[in-house]
Amino acid sequence: MRRVLAALLCLGLLQVHGYDPEHLKQLLEEKECIGCDLRGADLRGIDFSGCDLSKSDFSGANVSRSIFVMADLNDANLSDANATESVFWKGTMQRADLTRIHAQGASFKGTYLEGSNLSFADLRGTKSWKANFSSALLKKTDFSDAELGDAKFIHNDLRSSKLTKSLLWKTYFSNVNMTKAQCAHAKKEEAIFDVNVTCR
Amino acid sequence: MKKFFLLLLLFGSFLYAASIESDKEFQQAIAKIGKEEKLVLMIYTADDCPECAYMKQKVFHDKTVEPFLNRHFVVMEKNVHRSSLPDGFDYFGIPTMFFIDKAGVKKETLVGSKRPKPFLEALHRVWGKK
Repeated sequence: MRRVLAALLCLGLLQVHGYDPEHLKQLLEEKECIGCDLRGADLRGIDFSGCDLSKSDFSGANVSRSIFVMADLNDANLSDANATESVFWKGTMQRADLTRIHAQGASFKGTYLEGSNLSFADLRGTKSWKANFSSALLKKTDFSDAELGDAKFIHNDLRSSKLTKSLLWKTYFSNVNMTKAQCAHAKKEEAIFDVNVTCR
Repeated sequence: MKKFFLLLLLFGSFLYAASIESDKEFQQAIAKIGKEEKLVLMIYTADDCPECAYMKQKVFHDKTVEPFLNRHFVVMEKNVHRSSLPDGFDYFGIPTMFFIDKAGVKKETLVGSKRPKPFLEALHRVWGKK
């Protein structure tokens, strides 16, 4: 059995890290990779600003402290990725799968996250000023200590999410479901409640 | 030769205009301070910057921050898109706050917004270093 595995490894038929080495090479050399397989890749501290990474699979990858300023991550998969202290400033992450992403201390300032799946995401202490979370799935998303000033929440269910000590100055809520405690916190923080904000 | 001197004067005046000591707003801030012991807090802002608005409208007027801020600092604002920026005061994010003494010496720089409590702590630290 050991011989069979060794032979498969030599032939490149088994990839230990999961990602496609050619895609990783393309990404690092060309800083562009659409629909690439980068699962589990070690991409720490790399500058991907302005890159088109749409539809790429970064699930389980380590992108901590990497920079994605104005990068296109639409329809990308960053589930289970380590994005601690990464910068997604003014990027687009629409419809991205961000389930269980570890993004503590990351910057999502002005980032478009419409329709993304942020269920079980760790967004503690993120700087998410003016981010757009419209229609994002926010099941048990942890926004504790996050700065969400001027961010938009339209068509969201926030009831299972944590908003403890989050900054909600001028944060815009419309057509959202929130708990009574979340509503009280948001009002105290001077958030803007537009139509159909349900507090229960 | 006359032309050379004129060019030299012109070049010199550009250099002079770029220093904080000759900056009009800085001079006004210094005039406000008078003989008091205060520092200048120069904040770089931009029009479309909610963090800047948060600092100016909320944090600077917070009941725990405002008394200490007014007692020890004079605030001056520069919109990075509309004002000339003094030499040696570059920025990497908005808002950026520079703490400057009367002689125009930069004491500390803070990048990004801060909530009232950590901002007050930063003010105490900067004032303590004066």
